[in-house]
Amino acid sequence: MSKKKFSVNGTFKDSVNTIKFLTERKQFIDSAPAVLPTRSDDFGVNKVAKSLHPKEQKLVISRIEEHGNIAKSYYFKSDTELAYFKAGQYLTFKLEIGNSVVTRSYSIASSPASALNGEYQITVKRIADGFVSDYILDNWNVGDEVIAYAPEGNMTYCPLRDAQNIVAIAGGSGITPFLSLARAIDQGDEDCTLTLLYGCRTSDEILFKSELDSLSERNEKINVVYVLSHSDEDGYEKGFVGADIIKKYAPDEIYSVFVCGPGGMYKFLETELPKLQIERKYIRFEVFSSGKKVDEEPNEYNITVINRGNETVIKASSNETVLCAFERAGIEVPARCHTGECGFCRSKLVSGKVYIPEGEDKRRIADMQFNFIHPCCCYPESDLVVRIN
Amino acid sequence: MVKNYDAVVIGAGNGGLVASARLAKEGKKTLLIERHNLPGGFATSFVRGRFEFEASLHELCGIGSITGKSPLLKIFQEVGAADKMEWVALDEAYRLLTLDENEKCDYLMPLGKDAFINKLEEYDPGSATVVTKIFDLIESIEKTLDFVSNIEDFKPSMIKEIFSEHTDFLKVANYSVDEVLKSFGASQKTRDILNGYWCYLGQPTDELNAIHYFTMLHSYIIDGAVIPRGRSHQISTALLEAFTENGGEAWFNTSVKKINVENGVATGVVLDDGTQINAKVVICNASPYNAFTKLIDENSIPEKLKKEVNAKTLSAKGFAVFLGLNRSADELGLNNHTYFIYPTNDNRKCYELSKNLETNDVQATVCLNRAFDDCSPEGTSILYMTSIFAGDEWSKVSVKDYHKTKHAFAEKMIDNFEKATGVKIKDYIEEIEIATPMTYARYTDAPAGTIYGYEASKEDGIVKRIVFDLIDKGIPGLYFAGGYTTRHMGYSPSYTTGDMAAKKAILAMEKEVK
Repeated sequence: MSKKKFSVNGTFKDSVNTIKFLTERKQFIDSAPAVLPTRSDDFGVNKVAKSLHPKEQKLVISRIEEHGNIAKSYYFKSDTELAYFKAGQYLTFKLEIGNSVVTRSYSIASSPASALNGEYQITVKRIADGFVSDYILDNWNVGDEVIAYAPEGNMTYCPLRDAQNIVAIAGGSGITPFLSLARAIDQGDEDCTLTLLYGCRTSDEILFKSELDSLSERNEKINVVYVLSHSDEDGYEKGFVGADIIKKYAPDEIYSVFVCGPGGMYKFLETELPKLQIERKYIRFEVFSSGKKVDEEPNEYNITVINRGNETVIKASSNETVLCAFERAGIEVPARCHTGECGFCRSKLVSGKVYIPEGEDKRRIADMQFNFIHPCCCYPESDLVVRIN
Repeated sequence: MVKNYDAVVIGAGNGGLVASARLAKEGKKTLLIERHNLPGGFATSFVRGRFEFEASLHELCGIGSITGKSPLLKIFQEVGAADKMEWVALDEAYRLLTLDENEKCDYLMPLGKDAFINKLEEYDPGSATVVTKIFDLIESIEKTLDFVSNIEDFKPSMIKEIFSEHTDFLKVANYSVDEVLKSFGASQKTRDILNGYWCYLGQPTDELNAIHYFTMLHSYIIDGAVIPRGRSHQISTALLEAFTENGGEAWFNTSVKKINVENGVATGVVLDDGTQINAKVVICNASPYNAFTKLIDENSIPEKLKKEVNAKTLSAKGFAVFLGLNRSADELGLNNHTYFIYPTNDNRKCYELSKNLETNDVQATVCLNRAFDDCSPEGTSILYMTSIFAGDEWSKVSVKDYHKTKHAFAEKMIDNFEKATGVKIKDYIEEIEIATPMTYARYTDAPAGTIYGYEASKEDGIVKRIVFDLIDKGIPGLYFAGGYTTRHMGYSPSYTTGDMAAKKAILAMEKEVK
């Protein structure tokens, strides 16, 4: 700036004003009481944040309901409040089975309102080779305490994103998030219509039939259609849920398709849904534990795991995810979704090579750049060094 | 278990990351502790469907794409992180729109001093002379700030230099933006346009310190602004990589339970699992607010520091809507990168209105595709909207009403955007995520979901903070970095205070050795 005199209110006043700054500051500090302010935990905002996202929840099994011999519903209570959620979200449980520490996610079947009343419900179906589901079905008893993390998941009805009419396609135990949604609609907590196309092999395998029937009957926003693939019975649709059945039952207005079920159903729908010519934004899949990688002759590798500066070497098979190897070795990792989506298990691949199945790489751009991986959807292809913490 | 380090850094936010990277670069054995599984704090990103959303950054200053003045880039280079980052320069400063029917305005301002002055002259003929003088003052003040920020160890002789060489700075030091701009005879319209950035600091310009705001104008408009290609997560991860390459150790999913203070000196920390970390210096990227209320034994906190933390006011609480749209920016008519949409140009009024959910209509919205179109898949675009709340209105929202309240406010922001710009976006939302003060509280433990640290009020503006930081002594061995410290909140300020904290700590360690 040129040497021409600059001033705001004249040099004298400016100088006085600047000098005032010392006294103003002193007064500002001195006049405050010498006590500490409110802790962050005591603000309403932080309380709600903690209530919605507790670090973990200790749940006690209050009731077990058997669904024939194919599935069981577990009801949980807690001494403390249960985290509220949106219909469609899941709970991730942490279990110690033998020497393993594993996490598994189950959609919440109960309504969000029931969480406010102190209850969650999940439903576990017996499946072939279900290491964790077998354990739960055979070992969990009323009165047992289990650990669950806060509800997570994005297959929830969002009026700003989804059509107001939801066509939900459920397969097997994939019914649970939609049971929660139907209950939420019925209780006035969600403002959408629900056309539920529920695919099962036979009518014996239909879960929650009487409740679904009565919801469908008493609430005009809810319509339930059962679709049986392996038997031809009166009052049921026959076949797989595909474009024809969707067209037959979907409302005339614009609708969103939500899908939750086994891998085979997803594969079928991948070819069926395009026939409906629905915009991509109106189709949402809930992805649960993805298909397994099968090598005829799996290789065995060593993984060096770095955790808080400590190194442990564990064995891993090329047929199992890196996360699975961690779990078997009893190494606790903050995993949730097991599908690459949530990113909780994000770890640094210091060295080595992994295989990530197509469509399962949901990493951030910079994580790819710097070789961070989501161990839940990576298979080892060499010895690895992985830093988890 | 007991472990010994030269330095322990609490928190891998922007301040903590730079401090760690600097310490490791200088050969100090450093341990960085972070509660989350990610580095960055606010500086992060997240993936929904086929979109990767930037969590908080709008434009980054300190990487001078126009003048080459790049104090931030210099830090990144010195700590060995710069070659891991990729920048896209912006050419637009902001488009300023108001919702008030009676004073509707629509100004599109470019970056670059001359371009900015010329454009202002177009909107407000005759303003160029005054605005040129204002920019001269801004540049003069910048020289003083450069001098002050290069002070690593304060000596009384420096006061003499300030009084002889930096008189402009001294004259302006205790005035508000409005007081200085009015003294130049700037018209209301010129001041409205120049004040566009006020929401980035969360303080109305009748109170906001002029030097604070002018340094911001300098770094954005004169020096130029950039966007990192890999979102702010790229900066965070690059800093972390540089840190570990230089021998630093970072532990994630790990909390600090306590900062040990013995005989008035910080000596280390205790971790969640009981591990005791002894260190010559402790750098705290957790806010002084949380450090004093949660990490340090109350008896170890000098009375003056208690008063100080109590005197300050928590700043704006954040709210953001992240939209993945299933049409391109061209198709939708999203022609600009930064949109400031205010209920009125009277920013004091905006601030007062922002205390309430019903009346808050402030938003700063970014279309990332206008920085680089391939930030999202072909035929799509990314738009994110941020609002700020003065006061603590969100503390009244119950768990049961939470989802409805956040959706209603997000919808209002979308409606306001459509109304102000005429661009229709509502039918094209493929992915949406909404962050509320609760979200910021969850991820950063910020009291009430504060995103801007302490208010840059008249008594606690950055000039006062910087001057008194040079005079006052806190707890020896404990150095604060990040948005609650001398430079106020923001990316560049937080990185800078991280570097300053590390340099102070290194100096102290060297003195100790002597």
